Amino acid sequence: MAIVAEQSRFSRIFWPTLAWITAIVVFFPIFWLVFTSFKTDADAVKPEFLFKFTPTLENYSNMVDNYDYWRFAGNSIITSVFATIFALVVGVPCAYAMAFDPTRATKDVLMWMLSTKMLPAAAVLYPMTFLTKNFLGIYDTKFLVIVVLMLVNLPIVIWMLFSYFKEIPKEIIEAGKMDGVDTWGEIKEILIPLAWGGIASTALLTFIFCWNEAYWTVRLTTTDAATLSSLIEGNRAPEGLFFGRLSAVSTAAIGPIVVLGWFCQKQLVRGLTFGAVK
Amino acid sequence: MSKRTLPRLLQTPAVLLLLVWMLVPLSITLYFSFIRYVLASLNRPEWTTPSITNWRGLGNYIFVWNNDGFWLAIYNSVFIVTSIIVLTVVLGLATAILVNRSFPGRGIVRVLLISPFFVMPAVNAVLWINMILDPVLGLQGIAVSGINEFSENMRSAPLIGWFFSLWPELTPISFRASQTSAIAVIMMVTWQWTPFAVLIFMTSLQSEDQQQKEAAILDGAGKWAMFRFLTLPHLARPMSIVVMIQAIFHLSLYAEIEIVSRGNGNKNLPYLIGEMATNNIGAASATGIFAVILANIFAIFLLRMISKSLME
Repeated sequence: MAIVAEQSRFSRIFWPTLAWITAIVVFFPIFWLVFTSFKTDADAVKPEFLFKFTPTLENYSNMVDNYDYWRFAGNSIITSVFATIFALVVGVPCAYAMAFDPTRATKDVLMWMLSTKMLPAAAVLYPMTFLTKNFLGIYDTKFLVIVVLMLVNLPIVIWMLFSYFKEIPKEIIEAGKMDGVDTWGEIKEILIPLAWGGIASTALLTFIFCWNEAYWTVRLTTTDAATLSSLIEGNRAPEGLFFGRLSAVSTAAIGPIVVLGWFCQKQLVRGLTFGAVK
Repeated sequence: MSKRTLPRLLQTPAVLLLLVWMLVPLSITLYFSFIRYVLASLNRPEWTTPSITNWRGLGNYIFVWNNDGFWLAIYNSVFIVTSIIVLTVVLGLATAILVNRSFPGRGIVRVLLISPFFVMPAVNAVLWINMILDPVLGLQGIAVSGINEFSENMRSAPLIGWFFSLWPELTPISFRASQTSAIAVIMMVTWQWTPFAVLIFMTSLQSEDQQQKEAAILDGAGKWAMFRFLTLPHLARPMSIVVMIQAIFHLSLYAEIEIVSRGNGNKNLPYLIGEMATNNIGAASATGIFAVILANIFAIFLLRMISKSLME
């Protein structure tokens, strides 16, 4: 690329430097959160200790006493894992049928599924509370959170899987049919090994979405099934006095997910644009 | 079993689940929106339980329609969503173009840039409103008092002292108040979603036709002309997707609004519904139906666009 190489010395240095500065500025709030988590609550609000302070792990070791961290984290892990698994169990056969045996209705069904994602949650908040509390008796259970998280993410799961499955040549699946493999065998022996990468990234992204979900998880739970989102959002204590411990628990809540997110940047584009941008 | 039966069977669980998930709560909302249903109604105890005998017709809708809070909430919803979209598209485009070249450490820059997107919304709000924007204890407060102290000290300095005596004393802004909480929400959500725009624009920029660009250079096209007539049209579709998806997500913002102002600040439509739903269920449901209509207006555009670009 001869033409692009003709850059002036100025732009060779200036633009990368600007890119680095932008990246650092963007990342700064996260850095600040982690940084503050190593200060004591008293140090965290004193300007003289802004950068110079004695780091401490106190906030992390007291996290369990202060916030009962593991109960919430446990709920987050259990609900996110099972919601992801169930979404895949329901989503893989559906996307498989849509990708390899499309009918004239397939396109409309896919669009309709996506449209359920656009229904404003607030509009059905009270009916959901009403139903689950008064009729089903499953309010504030992990079961409810799992079901809701699964339903919320199912359209995206199906769309992502569909866009991965479509890339598999139909002939391979048909060759399997010729050899007399039944549908279950096709899914298990041919589809899953071939689309393994796509299924894994769908799972990863769904897990992230479940973990970060902050509407239903907060509003359909009180104590037993409350997740990390509830823990952080419900923190109504005089927050200013507890920057240190608040930072520690927040860091612990986002740490694993941010790191996980680094590994699925590319899939994120596909997942969030429902496959429209690859 | 016929050839068509099995594929249908495989799709049935997903379709049924989503159908129930969509229809059941929504029909209850619709029902509640036509009856009088008030949880704490001391004078009219019959209104505290849902019943068809409390039929109110379009009464709840008219009540909501004539309520100033409702229009304010719509205004806030639209203001917040529009501001976030404009900011993320502009900043995202600039950043994507900035990073769309090879330079040392590009991988790390990408990782740093994308990170905010994975931060839990509740943590995002807690972090910004407390540690960054708090007028006393946050970085904002510390910076403002630092600047004030600096100019105070400089006033007595010889020669340049007069310059600093012209400086007004800065007062930190409280972002929990009713006029400013929307600004705080816009700031934090823009921070979180600009990475999304960057990522999509970056992906799209990589598929730009390089030969076309080289041909344009040979034809003597300037940088701006190339951007305006080649890059921008190429980005039109990703841009519209960024706009629409964000519209859908941000119309239902809740956690950030709650954490920033705890009900004392700018309320958007979902927040207003949540507040009403603690007492006047009828009105909350009618507002909910209005929110569904508003979301549908956006959704129709999005679905059209995606269906066009995806199904070829």
